[in-house]
Amino acid sequence: MAHRWGMTVDLDRCTGCGACVTACHAENNIAVVGDAQAAKSRAMHWIRVERYWEGDFPDVRLKFRPVMCQQCDAAPCEPVCPTYASHHTEEGLNAQVYNRCIGTRYCANACPYNVRFFDFYNPQWPKPLHLQLNPDVSVREVGVMEKCTFCVQRISAAEIDAKAEKRELKDGEITPACVQSCSAKALVFGDLNDPESEVSRLSRSTRGAKLLEELGTLPKVTYLARQTQV
Amino acid sequence: MDRRDFIRLTAVTGTSVTLASCGNPEHQLIRFVPDDDLVPGVAEFKPSVCPLCRAGCGLSVRVMEADVETVRNGQSGVVKMGVAKKLEGDAKHPISRGGLCPRGQAAIQITYHPDRLTHPMKRTGARGTGEYKEVTWDEAIAELAGQLIALADARDQKSLALLARPRRSRRLELFAEFLARFGAPAPVGFELFAEDVLRRANARSFGHEQLPTFDLARAKYVIAFGADFLGTWNSPVSQNAGYGEMRQGRQVHGGSRAKFVHVEPRMSLTAASADEFVPAKPGTEGVLALGLGHIIIRNKLRSADAAGRAGAAIDGWSAGLADYTPENVEKITGVAALRIERLAHELVEFRPSVAIIGGAPLAHTNGLFNALAVNALNALLGSVGEPGGMFFTPSLQPPASGPGFSAASHPPSQAAPASAGQTQPLVASLQSSKVLLIDDANPVFASPKAWKVREALDRIPFIVSFGSFLDDTSIHADLILPDHSFLETWVDSMPESGALEAVTTVAGPAMKPLHNTRSTPDVVIELAGKLKSPVALPWKSYEEMLKAPATSHPPSQAAPASAGQASHQPPVTSHQYQEPHFDGDAAAFPFHFLPYASQAFLDGSAAHLPWLQEMPDPLTSAMWSSWIEINPRTAERLGLALGDLVDVTSSQGTLRAPIVISPGIAPDVVAMPVGQGHETFTRYASKRGVNPIEILSPLTEAETGALAWAATRVKITRAGDGDGRLIMFAGEMRENPFEGRRQEK
Repeated sequence: MAHRWGMTVDLDRCTGCGACVTACHAENNIAVVGDAQAAKSRAMHWIRVERYWEGDFPDVRLKFRPVMCQQCDAAPCEPVCPTYASHHTEEGLNAQVYNRCIGTRYCANACPYNVRFFDFYNPQWPKPLHLQLNPDVSVREVGVMEKCTFCVQRISAAEIDAKAEKRELKDGEITPACVQSCSAKALVFGDLNDPESEVSRLSRSTRGAKLLEELGTLPKVTYLARQTQV
Repeated sequence: MDRRDFIRLTAVTGTSVTLASCGNPEHQLIRFVPDDDLVPGVAEFKPSVCPLCRAGCGLSVRVMEADVETVRNGQSGVVKMGVAKKLEGDAKHPISRGGLCPRGQAAIQITYHPDRLTHPMKRTGARGTGEYKEVTWDEAIAELAGQLIALADARDQKSLALLARPRRSRRLELFAEFLARFGAPAPVGFELFAEDVLRRANARSFGHEQLPTFDLARAKYVIAFGADFLGTWNSPVSQNAGYGEMRQGRQVHGGSRAKFVHVEPRMSLTAASADEFVPAKPGTEGVLALGLGHIIIRNKLRSADAAGRAGAAIDGWSAGLADYTPENVEKITGVAALRIERLAHELVEFRPSVAIIGGAPLAHTNGLFNALAVNALNALLGSVGEPGGMFFTPSLQPPASGPGFSAASHPPSQAAPASAGQTQPLVASLQSSKVLLIDDANPVFASPKAWKVREALDRIPFIVSFGSFLDDTSIHADLILPDHSFLETWVDSMPESGALEAVTTVAGPAMKPLHNTRSTPDVVIELAGKLKSPVALPWKSYEEMLKAPATSHPPSQAAPASAGQASHQPPVTSHQYQEPHFDGDAAAFPFHFLPYASQAFLDGSAAHLPWLQEMPDPLTSAMWSSWIEINPRTAERLGLALGDLVDVTSSQGTLRAPIVISPGIAPDVVAMPVGQGHETFTRYASKRGVNPIEILSPLTEAETGALAWAATRVKITRAGDGDGRLIMFAGEMRENPFEGRRQEK
């Protein structure tokens, strides 16, 4: 049976520390755009930590929510792409083929989660910063749309290894960079088609909810609500 | 043409043909024979230790093959070598347990930083101008040895000083050993957020002069006083791991979730995760802790005797803390009496419960009292050394594996208490030294202007930096001997907290050095061998020192006694509440000024890493910026909107920065992250933003002499509309559709 990759984000564990944000940059060769471009909202963070303030001081609450591509089953970004750069893989990922992308940015307009980022310039890595680039991930050039891939390079590597060793993938064998770095273990990744996997078990939690579920996008990321002890 | 001419001619033409084929030397591609045995495309994982804070997280470094431009024997070319690609937390390391913080993730950029110093340098221009010329390692070490020989000849060995970041490591032991053999004072440790007050308090209450470890995974109730333990304080990665356990999916207490209460005047990253946020007036945290203790003792929920030595350190403890009735405590702290009663009952009902104090509450003039009060509360709750409580990480090396340095921000425990206005030990050390060695410390940036550290540096005849970057302090160095990056050399760490068992981490180089740098411990060993009077160290290299059994080289007699040993425990003296003093009177300076360790840069030592500059701050989403956090009602009263510039004025000076309106801060407090405002710190951090430390008053904690960095009061005046320098990731689309068609920046 094909895999169907999904993630759960336990908002009760998440402390908003931001390790996932930097880990994603390190893994996926995401460009640092610099202050001038960042001021034009061109900073690229495939995963971000959103914050929601409630109430007034002193009865104030702050909730964090890490948001990355929700890998929708009915993804609004896919049908709008004229070149099929944005498409659905057999394993349910919303993939982006950089070679096909002509930079219409229709997909970014269509995405309700604001998780697609456009390369306005060629990325700069003043030497020797370029030595850190991950050889498993292509570097995107100007005019291309990019987004979270669930670290598809890590998924493929694990699948190839398992195939070579003639075995099934184990649950927890694949960890995207954000999941691996999360010290509070708020993020869990795995196969939603395996009812026994941890991500399936957590997705069925009564605390679970999808982001902007009412839009009918059928996201594969489940948020587990934060609880409060009174 | 005879035979000889023919040969001569062919030789000449042959040479010219060879030269022509080379053409422009930039297009030459000389490939050196690789000396790493790596399979292309296959990653290896090597251990290392994160250098960015004292937590000492164990790393697993992903190493892969890459083409590296290099120079060999004066010939530049390209070599294939294994280079670090990604840092992960080592899953088997007892502190990082597979996780990392954002700073640890970015630490790899230290190694590949485009502005890293690549070779030894000698100053050519005036100090502070950054004009240097390249010298060889032999010349550089000979020059430094000459300076030390001159000191020794003048029998002035005590005028050599070494300034380092306080860490528990064998690296510092090596430096201490060298200084002791030379006859110089012990290394001076300096760090802004040094937490020495807490160490002193723990020595008094529990006999351990070290930072505590918390067993969050098994706690049922956690009350924290100011400690940003999920963000920047103590051992954040291990504390995050424990926090995740205490919230969801744990094996103990029937899987029930712990309650977490946070006390502080500004909702920090850590407070945001709390179930209950209790803003108390700055500097009154200890009173609140004793108010809780009062109720627990009064209602006979726990016996006052249970607190033992920690209780005896508090005046009036055995009498049941009569002065700390809920009504009195409400008057002082601003926390409602009923709420104090309820919290006290919860602390006892949901045992194991534990109290944590750190950060700003210790940085008031009464910081030691605040720490002692929370220690006594912990002892009363029976949470010291018990599952779900607080522990002291044991040391592998008795006695106490003393870091072998005297902390600059307070005098050693044996010394008489410092009085306010006394010369800071850091400054005293700078004033008395003629040759200063600096290892990874930046006091020019991280000390208040009133300490006049820069002026003190100006008077030191010879300054040597081992740093990898030109920063606010090392730009005043006469000689720079750049260290390898942590990935290129042997590293070690003996973290004082973060694990229930003793931890010593030693790791070899994860990759070969990129530049003409040298491991500083090895430079010190070589230097020691070059001096006239033999002070040679017992190791041939740092690697040999790390591989040797730790006990085979006991520190020499001259090595400084490490604090925290039983024999140095001061007698128990009881402490009374002293009101916190603030610099600036409340009428002229109506706001408390709260600088805090930023999630991206800590104390500013990570501000040069571009990933961290562009990481949105979790509470504000600000990037590449400095900002001042102001309560919405205060902003409204002063007519301030998001991004407006304000002047923040203390008795020490004024700084100007944009404001962020933050619902989580008390109306009479303004807060500012520490980290930006470097005069010099690579292309990414130089002259970016402003440094809140500059306007701090030099008030000190009354008893320990530590800098009371939370005790400054300020006034706020509007300085104008935003200048666009506040950059935030969240917010409206600010795209201009016509941009680029007319002109492109």
